[in-house]
Amino acid sequence: MIVLLALVLYAAAGIAIAAAFLVFGVTRVLPEPAPVTLGARIMLFPGAAALWPYVLIRWLKSFR
Amino acid sequence: MLTFFVVLLHASFMVEWFAVQDALPSLYDELTKVSDYGKFIGFPFKALGLFALLILFLLAATSHDYWLVFLTPSVWKGLHMALYVAYGLIVMHVALGVMQNDRNPFIPAMLASGFAIVTLLHLVVGWRERVRDRAGARGSEGWLAVGPPLSIPDKGARIVTPPDGERIAVFRDGTQIGALSNLCAHQNGPIGEGRIIDGCVTCPWHGYQYRLEDGCAPPPFTEKLVTYRVRIAHGVVEVDPRPLLPGTPAAIRYE
Repeated sequence: MIVLLALVLYAAAGIAIAAAFLVFGVTRVLPEPAPVTLGARIMLFPGAAALWPYVLIRWLKSFR
Repeated sequence: MLTFFVVLLHASFMVEWFAVQDALPSLYDELTKVSDYGKFIGFPFKALGLFALLILFLLAATSHDYWLVFLTPSVWKGLHMALYVAYGLIVMHVALGVMQNDRNPFIPAMLASGFAIVTLLHLVVGWRERVRDRAGARGSEGWLAVGPPLSIPDKGARIVTPPDGERIAVFRDGTQIGALSNLCAHQNGPIGEGRIIDGCVTCPWHGYQYRLEDGCAPPPFTEKLVTYRVRIAHGVVEVDPRPLLPGTPAAIRYE
């Protein structure tokens, strides 16, 4: 049950952070500025949610 | 991505089968009974399928060039090598599932022989590539000999391996000869196994193109490949294994 709970929490955090990242940070982390369309942002959502710890770290680093 | 959706469909059918019979708790018990994980016959093979599904989800979720840039090509490629883990998990998921009830010795024999054949093929190809990498001909002053110009197929390439570093693809387009990194900037595909199409070196994997003269992708694309100096000495094409900066013009024409 603990494992299930951890997975649920991970997924919940992933959904929240992925949504915020795709709205505000998806172009900021790229080495060169490039437009990211709405359709592409929707496609990127599962990956951003799955990799949210690394996505968050890269997003925060982009502010330095 | 298609593979992931097929596997997801299968998993949903299986879960629905348990749900219809009000047997979801027994499915949960089967997956969480630690003592069964030490068995061969009786191994909770469904867990193998579940792990394969998770791997395929991760691969499908990162199957976009954005992730290739975000993660960097080397990390992205390493991540997508997990496909082989998923492949092994699915093979064992199917085999152990069948062997729960069918004790025909032909099944484990076929499984073992399949594993042996795939392993043997990988070893043979790996050995062949290793021999090829070590057989690089030396030219003069540290340059690598490729061969006479006409030994390079027109619109094609010969691949040479320097003592250190990645392979070099030496292309010929008529009387023009140029040398580029053998690794495509997209997903490290073998450029040298491609052809020159519409005046551009074309990667055989996904069709990324680069100009032979400078290794740059034609506008509006911005990818660049490392180039190498080439020369013809005593009728033999030679390439300098010291790489130039990506996009440096280095191709030559010969008479």
